[in-house]
Amino acid sequence: MAEFSWVSRSPLEQGLVTGVHGARGIKAGVLLTEIRNFDLIQVMARRGKGVQMASAAEARFGVAAPDVPKAIQTADASLIWSGPDQYFVLSKGSKHTMDTLTRALSQSASLSDQSHARALIGVSGTKARAMLAKLSSIDLHPQALPIGTAAATSIDHTSVNLWRGNDRPDGQAVFNLLVFATFAESLWHTMLDAAAEYGVDIRHSEEFA
Amino acid sequence: MRIVCPFCGERELGEFTYLGDAKPVRPAASASEDEVFDYVYLRDNVAGQMSEYWYHGGGCRAWLKVTRNTLTHEISAVEPAAGVGARKVGA
Ligand SMILES: [Zn+2]
Repeated sequence: MAEFSWVSRSPLEQGLVTGVHGARGIKAGVLLTEIRNFDLIQVMARRGKGVQMASAAEARFGVAAPDVPKAIQTADASLIWSGPDQYFVLSKGSKHTMDTLTRALSQSASLSDQSHARALIGVSGTKARAMLAKLSSIDLHPQALPIGTAAATSIDHTSVNLWRGNDRPDGQAVFNLLVFATFAESLWHTMLDAAAEYGVDIRHSEEFA
Repeated sequence: MRIVCPFCGERELGEFTYLGDAKPVRPAASASEDEVFDYVYLRDNVAGQMSEYWYHGGGCRAWLKVTRNTLTHEISAVEPAAGVGARKVGA
């Protein structure tokens, strides 16, 4: 049998060029960071098993999984609402993989590994909200979208899971976006165009914001 | 036009896809050809309040039952379609 050596590559490997782009002579107003190498599992309750899934999730994570559009932080994972009776488990370092979560949750839920099926992009900076407001139709005002709020929505006709993480130490809001890998480059270029007038600082990271 | 998704909140029309009349009910396997023809092909052209299926494909991917006035586009009710989510078995 042929031996395969799978090398995981970011869907933004071509499109992402680190450095400062767009407007010159001003401090970049938008910080775009792709976060690489994460574990992402979609969990969906089976028909009639929503209550059982909720208690199994609470036993596994120590907190209730979100049943409204919110992202909940546990000690080592984010639980991100993605629809009725479904959520994502986002983590790093193989703490919550298909293997371990299947044992904990598969009595009441179906699981699907999305680790290499999505790109994760963090948007921050003084003009992050202004840039996203050009593209998103949801209300991004801090009162409408406080820390921990999640939304399943569309940006530039592309489905995304958006949630607001904890503010950065400098007080700037952080918007996280999960997008299908095959749409990531298209969304990336759309955001670059929208951010160009503010100046945009592009990075990639192995760490969550 | 905007639709208030019971799961996501108020969203623009572009996130939704229209299916059509939510009233027709699939006939039993023993139903006559006329009944099946009616179910598959014949639709009322409602001028006024209508119950419709909409899909929130650009959001939570839930099917919704929307009560809309076809004359004014006023939406008076939005509820999850039967079987949406896992807690509501056939609700
Ligand atoms: Zn929705």
